[in-house]
Amino acid sequence: MIRAIGLVKIYQTGGLPVPAVRGVDLVVEPGEFVAIMGPSGSGKSTFVHMLGGLETRTSGEIWLDGKRADTLSESGWAVLRRQKVGFVFQFFNLVTNMTVADNVELPALLGGASPKHARERREYLLAELGLEERASAAPGQLSGGEQQRVALARALANQPRLLLADEPTGNLDSRNTRDVLKLLGKVHRQGQTIVLVTHDARVASMADRVVSLLDGQIVDDAPIARIQRRPGGTAGDIVELRG
Amino acid sequence: MITGVGVRAEVRWVRADLRARRGQALLTVIAVAGIVTALITAATLLEDGTNPWRGLFERGRGAHVWIHTKGAPNVPALRALGGVTDVAGPYRSAPATLADHGRKVPIALQETTAALPSVARPLLREGRWLDVRHPDGVVVEQSFAKALGLHPGSPFPVTGLNGATHTLTVAGLAESGDQGFYPEWTPGLAWTLSSTLTMVEPAPGRTESVTGLRLADAGYTDIVVQQAVITLRNQVQRVSTWREVRASMELDNRLLGLLLALFGLAGLVAAALALANATGGRVLTQLRDIATLKSLGFTREQVTRMLVAEHGTLGLLGIALGLVAGRVITAYALSDTVVVPLSSGPLVAITAGTALVVLVAVWLPAWRGGATPPIPAAPAAPPHGRLSRLARVALLVRLPPALVLGARDAFTRPTSAILTLTGVAIPMMMITIGLGCWATLDGFIRHPEQVGQAAALSVRPGDLTASEALGRAMADPDVVTAYPGVELDALVPWQTRTVRTRALGLSSDPYPFPVAEGRMFRDRGEAVAGQGLLDLLGLRIGDRVRMTIGGTPLIVKIVGRVIEPEQDGEVLSFGVDSLAAKDATPPQFYSLVLRPGADAGEVRARLQAQALEVDQAVNPADRLSVIRVIIVALVVVLALIGLANLLTASALGLRDHLLDLAVLKAMGLTPRQVMATLVTGTGLVAMAGVVLGGSAGAFLSKGLIDLEGRGSGVGAGIGRAPTPGMLAGALLVAIGATLLVALIPARRAARARVPVTAR
Ligand SMILES: Nc1ncnc2c1ncn2[C@@H]1O[C@H](COP(=O)(O)OP(=O)(O)O)[C@@H](O)[C@H]1O
Ligand SMILES: [Mg+2]
Repeated sequence: MIRAIGLVKIYQTGGLPVPAVRGVDLVVEPGEFVAIMGPSGSGKSTFVHMLGGLETRTSGEIWLDGKRADTLSESGWAVLRRQKVGFVFQFFNLVTNMTVADNVELPALLGGASPKHARERREYLLAELGLEERASAAPGQLSGGEQQRVALARALANQPRLLLADEPTGNLDSRNTRDVLKLLGKVHRQGQTIVLVTHDARVASMADRVVSLLDGQIVDDAPIARIQRRPGGTAGDIVELRG
Repeated sequence: MITGVGVRAEVRWVRADLRARRGQALLTVIAVAGIVTALITAATLLEDGTNPWRGLFERGRGAHVWIHTKGAPNVPALRALGGVTDVAGPYRSAPATLADHGRKVPIALQETTAALPSVARPLLREGRWLDVRHPDGVVVEQSFAKALGLHPGSPFPVTGLNGATHTLTVAGLAESGDQGFYPEWTPGLAWTLSSTLTMVEPAPGRTESVTGLRLADAGYTDIVVQQAVITLRNQVQRVSTWREVRASMELDNRLLGLLLALFGLAGLVAAALALANATGGRVLTQLRDIATLKSLGFTREQVTRMLVAEHGTLGLLGIALGLVAGRVITAYALSDTVVVPLSSGPLVAITAGTALVVLVAVWLPAWRGGATPPIPAAPAAPPHGRLSRLARVALLVRLPPALVLGARDAFTRPTSAILTLTGVAIPMMMITIGLGCWATLDGFIRHPEQVGQAAALSVRPGDLTASEALGRAMADPDVVTAYPGVELDALVPWQTRTVRTRALGLSSDPYPFPVAEGRMFRDRGEAVAGQGLLDLLGLRIGDRVRMTIGGTPLIVKIVGRVIEPEQDGEVLSFGVDSLAAKDATPPQFYSLVLRPGADAGEVRARLQAQALEVDQAVNPADRLSVIRVIIVALVVVLALIGLANLLTASALGLRDHLLDLAVLKAMGLTPRQVMATLVTGTGLVAMAGVVLGGSAGAFLSKGLIDLEGRGSGVGAGIGRAPTPGMLAGALLVAIGATLLVALIPARRAARARVPVTAR
């Protein structure tokens, strides 16, 4: 699905090189849910930003769906993102001037869908999230949890092959965290490939696999044993159990 | 294809953004519309002021060609000529003389109808039109009437060729696009009824017929004239066309043209500034949204395109609105002054110029927006540690914390500080330059001697001898000095045209020309020249120039440059004694310097009563008076733009401060102190901008106006800086307005509850 080979990112700050990511190799299989953990400043954000083409790499390769992506131009990446990659950040996911409905319809319209199709898709997603009533609200009128759920809906609007999330629950209380995670678990079960950055172990435990970064390098890559989960349990149950 | 796809998404975003800031968008449109309106109005007024012919001709449905024939011509044949749409007349016309204070002025009487004709219609300005019940009434062409001091009701004693005098009465004054201005166009014209004409000139052989042809297109003039001459065979005595009429009405308008260009440029700069600031400010406040859009898959090109489309549309809308408003204003509000809308040349220039400026001004910030990295991160906040440390120091030494924090703010955000500074300084600079133009015009009026008009009046002897005229003029108590003068055209080698030479005063007692460079002439054979003449002949002070005046060769040495408002500065002046005696005596006229404080109009009336022909000098400032209207309009528009820029800047500052505000309040600053901090932050920079712009303008205005003067041929040396009082007033008003504008958002922010997180 997505493959990173020897990925390196070195920032130049005031002439000084700051290595943020130092040779990361990672393969994510289709349908896999990978959590990336690590202390603050370990290069997690930089890494997922590079996977989505938001940040250019210093060296290394990125392969998406069997095609090489790291050599794409800025516009090439933009087109790739609108077709295949959904993003959720910790803050500032929504376009402040647009209503919730417009925000969720935007990716579909950008992908060339008809306004009718975009609206249907938006109605479906917001209904799934229980946010139909907030469709005409401005993002500023939503709570943090609602905002993140709308962000997730928008990231999924074009049914992307890959969902990248950078601490999507980092700013939420446990109740809102639970709502967002419930949704993530649901789309994951429907076959969504997810790469999620978190430093919350409870969040990470939902994943199939946890990758730990330290100083820009992978120090641990461990699948989470399925047996840890209660058979038939959901992510939401786990959070409830532990939170 | 990357482009094409996703246009709907762009449209959706633009619509949402416009909806979210209707007020701001409206302001942008209004600002641009205001500038375009001001430019159109100014250009129309100037065009009309410098070329009144267009308006008169249009309003009176003038005739392009006038044919003078011995008897009545074959009208159907003339009407049948290709391109002729209407025929005026034929009217009978007779030469006569008018007795004016003892001298005889040649005039032309022209027959017309009691009902105003539909073609070549005189435009009644004062009094009444002709009336069959008052056959002794005449309507006099206005410029002629002004020159002779005639008013409705004045007696109009006319002597026909047979020597009989008839005392007619002036019924009214009219202007016409078919008759040039007196004295450039002679003889003076009076319209009479047919019966009146017959009374003055009973002999049919002594009248001629004039017939006007109105054409579908002025471009047909030459062909129609040729055909008319052929059609009428040897009946034709003389043909005149609209070109000669227009030429007699045109002012030497190089200075006006240059001033208009200067103001146009100022307007364009203002438009660019307003838009760049509005767009730039908007883009800066929504960088995070743009980053979000890019993370969604908007390309750089799409973002740039979207922003150009949004803001460019606002600008173009403003232009369209301004064009309409300009037309409406000139058509309705100024309908008395302006008859013809702006001709297409300046209109296209203004439209294309502003459109270009709009697109460039919008494209820069849009490009910047497109280059935003796609990661919607928190804004780069200033280092908070430094803020609190500084604040603590300030509190410790009991400085008003607001001042310290605000001042620090100005230095830690150089980009936004520069934006504010230029946004305020440039309009302020242009306002000051406008005030400089105002001061220059005031200077013309207060010190006419500095623009070569030390003599307010000049008298021509007319029927008197020169010494009689001089004696009568000097007898007036208000006349101090009289300088004998002669104006002649000179042929200069290598020039296809003549130049005007003016002999005025004696070399030993020269007329007080305003010498800007070099010195006054002192000897025979020395001369001073206007900038226009120096440019025309490629001369410098110290050069000798050879010319022929009335067949006599003359060599003069140019010893100085004078301010020369006449003839685009293409005038050479020297003492009467430098001329050959046959050209110099008797003098054509005497230039009269009046006692300071004397009323030139009254003196003129007194001298006219002495049977003298008196001309009053027209101050260049009177001709340029329309400039004052333009200055006021531009100052208003510029001030609004400066304030709008400031509002954008303070809004931006506020956005950057959202996080700081929490810190400031947490530190224990009262809302009032928070407000003071914010006002200091923008206010200091804006005040610096006001002072900087004001001084730059004061510094530049003299040089800039001198540059205009030089270009127009009048010559450098006319420019003034705004008076200290004017400048101080402008600075104070600007600073007050600045602080007031900075206060509005600051007040709101200080009162608002501040979120702890950024959203
Ligand atoms: N735009 C940038 N310029 C310079 N250095 C950066 C930039 N972004 C991140 N860094 C540095 O790269 C390192 C990794 O940052 P980041 O990927 O944000 O870590 P994490 O998300 O794990 O907290 C840090 O040392 C950070 O200071
Ligand atoms: Mg991070």
